[in-house]
Amino acid sequence: MPNAICQARLAEERKQWRKDHPFGFWARPEKNADNTLNLNKWSVGIPGKPETPWAGGTYPLTMTFPDDYPQKPPKLQFPPKFFHPNIYPSGTVCLSILDEEKDWKPSITIKQILLGVQDLLDDPNLESPAQQDAYVMLKRDKSAYVKRVRAQAREYASRE
Amino acid sequence: MAGRYQHSKTTIGVDLFQKVSEARVLMVGAGGIGCELLKNLVMSGFSYVEVVDLDTIDMSNLNRQFLFQRHHIGKAKASVARESALHFNPDAKIVAHHASIYEPQFDISWFKSFDIVLNALDNLAARRHVNGMCLAAGVPLIESGTEGFRGQVTLHMKRLTRCYDCDAKPTKKTYPVCTIRSTPSAPIHCIVWAKSYLFNQLFGNTEEEEPTINLEETSQNAEEMAHLRHENEALKRLRDAIGSDAYGKLVFEKVFTDDIKGLLLMEELWKNRRPPTPLNFEEIAGNRKSTKPMRDSVEWNQWDHKVWTLEENAEVFLESVPELAKRLLEQRRTDPNYSLSFDKDDDDALNFVTATANLRAYIYGLEQKSRFAVKEMAGNIIPAVATTNAIIAGLIVLTAMKVLGGNWSDCKNTWVASTINPERLDKPNSNCAVCTTGSFILTINTRTATLRDLVERVIQQHPEGEDESQGLGISGEITVQEGDRLLYDPDFEDNMDVTLKDLGILHASRVMITNDDDDEETKNVTVVLHIVHSDSLGESETLFILDGDRDIPPRPRKPEPETNETKRSANDLTEINGESSLTKRRKMDPEVTAVDDDVVVVGD
Repeated sequence: MPNAICQARLAEERKQWRKDHPFGFWARPEKNADNTLNLNKWSVGIPGKPETPWAGGTYPLTMTFPDDYPQKPPKLQFPPKFFHPNIYPSGTVCLSILDEEKDWKPSITIKQILLGVQDLLDDPNLESPAQQDAYVMLKRDKSAYVKRVRAQAREYASRE
Repeated sequence: MAGRYQHSKTTIGVDLFQKVSEARVLMVGAGGIGCELLKNLVMSGFSYVEVVDLDTIDMSNLNRQFLFQRHHIGKAKASVARESALHFNPDAKIVAHHASIYEPQFDISWFKSFDIVLNALDNLAARRHVNGMCLAAGVPLIESGTEGFRGQVTLHMKRLTRCYDCDAKPTKKTYPVCTIRSTPSAPIHCIVWAKSYLFNQLFGNTEEEEPTINLEETSQNAEEMAHLRHENEALKRLRDAIGSDAYGKLVFEKVFTDDIKGLLLMEELWKNRRPPTPLNFEEIAGNRKSTKPMRDSVEWNQWDHKVWTLEENAEVFLESVPELAKRLLEQRRTDPNYSLSFDKDDDDALNFVTATANLRAYIYGLEQKSRFAVKEMAGNIIPAVATTNAIIAGLIVLTAMKVLGGNWSDCKNTWVASTINPERLDKPNSNCAVCTTGSFILTINTRTATLRDLVERVIQQHPEGEDESQGLGISGEITVQEGDRLLYDPDFEDNMDVTLKDLGILHASRVMITNDDDDEETKNVTVVLHIVHSDSLGESETLFILDGDRDIPPRPRKPEPETNETKRSANDLTEINGESSLTKRRKMDPEVTAVDDDVVVVGD
């Protein structure tokens, strides 16, 4: 049985996002088999910031909301093996505002989360590495890291 | 005949007794609290009770659910509770439903037929469901829960008191992966590792991680994660040896010796922690001595309650692994994808988890636990105390009597800890997403009416007059959803000409409507429509009938339950009668939500 508090909040988030969202981003609930939309699972696109190696790409994620959202944070997942020091090999994003033991607060909106992830792209947190590849490369060979990030941006080139 | 009720009449007076005996009561749940409650009800003069419970009677219920006896095991709780309660009072009329409260037969009209609803439930989802139905039906709800020596009885009435969802509920505990996988610091971490990680790796479905382990988060160290992955792959290879005589020893040396040695190599992990001590198989289990005589002895209870020695743990581990492996392999002959899942009542599984957790605890220098204690922790068993249930059931009856007598100002919420603490009822939380909604019963032909009919006629069309066939006249941008399914909003009009039935909107569905009118924010509302299907509507002029209070309160700007923190600042202490600070005490005695499902005896 879905939790009414969670559903009301998700409807509100969808509405706020529809009215106003940052340029280049997209976020929408996925389609169910019965042609309705699933408010618990959203497809998201986050653009890399201009003038960073991430620019030019729009990176796809899924955002999954637990039944006790907004008491608990949603889970954000890039495609598996996404190259970034704070993304686990499974694609899950490691970010303090998405951690209920750390900085998650029920008042944080979807817009704030997605802007937070956009910031994280070019400003990784080396205190809290989540994958070896990107972490080690960034520490040892910054220019190779940047090159790899640029290649990934081309792979996820924005459609326009 | 008058004798049976004389005590009740004398205590509460003839007038109230009359109301009590005429009341139609719904009791949801016939478990720990429910058994006590049903007995109390029929003994104190309630004469009409409907009981709903989907469960059947289990051996572990008998220590406290006194309407059930050994020969009832396997039978429906609702029906047996009815039979047994009728022995106490054959004149009472009790209707038993062996069914889930979510079923469409328990629709809004059915809820409306009761004068009061008494919850004796064991889970959050069902409580929320009944709360929603009672709000919509306008029926008072008495909610209850117990855990060990604590419990509470709270009263909920639409617009008058807080609803069940006005206050935030505690959430389930999860553990970060690295605590479980490499740096346990408490016995529970070792138990979770044994039950959710190793058990599944060896005998279960390796693709699925147990939700209690928060697999991805809070790894501080990439090297450590890489090590864990490597460890995992080696364990998967080991599974190929399943069924061989050496399997137990192979697993033992892998997880208690080699993996620990590997972890020790990551020196930075142990800078501020006590490093783990790998086990030596030959030293501990070189000389095996069966524990069977111990287990089979009359003193089983001692075996269950004592903390096993290192050698005993190793032996139990080596005995349980082949037992579980044998069962797995036998099942896989017919179903190649078969996997075992941990069950606290499965002896081999519990032995395995106890021994594994203790061996791991020994390695990390942590406290070891008896099989009995591990069962409680691994099975998430909440200790139930029959006396607490009895106290709570008594308080429910007292509260129900006050409500039926219309004596609302006298009603209290009651928190039982070491003392019984009544507190005045609180006003509804004006930000609650659940009880600030408008609610209506929408009778409509779901087979012929389309989503367009719902949006344009029922929701948007402005009413002309007071007629129940008039629309709600809700303006602005409309969102229509059912549970987590979004059916319509201004950016999603795909389903407009699909019938409600084809969209899965059937009798007893609950559809939530929200609107957003930029011009007049005060007109923004949330409305819940309880669907009643009617075959006869739609043919004639009347498309639908809408029954409910059309004076809908505005939607709160931040629809959220109140947490202890927000409540502390928001709550005016004078409002609660100068009694000790409500919020302070609530923090000390968190609300009980899990409650009494499967249980061990506490005490002797």
